[in-house]
Amino acid sequence: MRTRGLAAAAFVVSVTAAPANVYAQAADPPNPPMDVSALKNFLPIGPPSPLPVSKVPDLSGDWTFGAGGFGQSLSAADPGGRMRGKEPDIPYQPWALQYTMKQFPPTGPDAAFERTTDPNIHTCEPLGLGRIYMAPAKLRFIQTVEAVYILHEIGPTWRVAWLNAKHPDDPDPQYWGHSVGWYENGDTLVVDTIGTNDRSWLDQLGHPHTEKLHFIERFKKQDDKTIRLDMTVDDPGAYTGPWPGVRNFTKSTTGFLRFQWVCSVRDNYEHYEKVGRTATPGETSFKK
Amino acid sequence: MIRKTSIAVVCCAVLSSVPLFAHHGGNLYDTTKAKVMKGTVTKFEWGTPHNQIYYDVKTDKGEVEHWVASTEPAGVMLERGWTRRSLKPGDEVTVYIFAAKNGATVGNLQKIVLADGKELTAGGPGPADAAQPPAGRQ
Repeated sequence: MRTRGLAAAAFVVSVTAAPANVYAQAADPPNPPMDVSALKNFLPIGPPSPLPVSKVPDLSGDWTFGAGGFGQSLSAADPGGRMRGKEPDIPYQPWALQYTMKQFPPTGPDAAFERTTDPNIHTCEPLGLGRIYMAPAKLRFIQTVEAVYILHEIGPTWRVAWLNAKHPDDPDPQYWGHSVGWYENGDTLVVDTIGTNDRSWLDQLGHPHTEKLHFIERFKKQDDKTIRLDMTVDDPGAYTGPWPGVRNFTKSTTGFLRFQWVCSVRDNYEHYEKVGRTATPGETSFKK
Repeated sequence: MIRKTSIAVVCCAVLSSVPLFAHHGGNLYDTTKAKVMKGTVTKFEWGTPHNQIYYDVKTDKGEVEHWVASTEPAGVMLERGWTRRSLKPGDEVTVYIFAAKNGATVGNLQKIVLADGKELTAGGPGPADAAQPPAGRQ
């Protein structure tokens, strides 16, 4: 695919010190065998019509990972990432399975940090949808009449879910896509996103998505200290059906952005040099 | 400054039940048992993607080993009661780590005990483990 190819080319340029076989790994990922723009998503896109009547849940406060932790995989059946490629709830298309298994994750049971193909580790590419919740960093909701702003401590980055709005007919593909939001049942914020590019991973394990990704997040306030997030991946370019992810958040009192998790290639490399290299002698794609 | 060697490998049911860390290359560490050692902090780096604790340990042969223990990032350690001033060079500590399988002097911190007995834990409700899917599923 065009954009994935461009991303791969940029990746190669950025790690010129890497061995040739690592370049080949990153530069030649399998791509979806078709033009995904013509595909139809499995699930309805955007807010239901008419919008459900709902009171607005209070999502104020700072939220950090709760029960179940932050995990490795988006798969609800395999959050720890022990069944990479064999998750019972991920309906891979063949190319997507091949793509996933060709990646070297930076963390988790199959971690190969010294050879990782992770675009976030190497070049601080944005984490993207889904994977943003795999990092142990807090989030905060700013609820206004026209939009809900989701602030992430990692990046730091922020997104906008426009309320009482529809997606544009032909959104420009971008890392975070275009999001609309609405409330349901007095306790849930739904965020519906399309219009992403295909450069980010859905999680730490390298699960891919295409520009046809339709990503649904349902933030349900369970009590004053708990939010459950149910995610749905609806991407007919990479999977044969929708599949679920789950995370839980608990209220934090340590202060938002008290420590800013800015992605720094230097920090990533230095961590590897200080801790990883001695434990993983041999091939590395990291700069010296 | 360097304390007498006290390196012991302890099979520790409590520590081995701590969820696997998401440290990069976490599968390179022996998470079935914690290595316990006494040493002296030489440097404490507070930041992302992980904190690093440098400490020296004197072996039975009188040699000094330079160790590095990694923790979760600063934001997570704040949740666990740590600050950037939790450790300083010269602190005499007892360190519990999951050490590298290949014998390298690096590892993932499980907890650290200061000379006054204060205990700083590195574990907690950390990364999801496949054996512990989020509540409400399965």
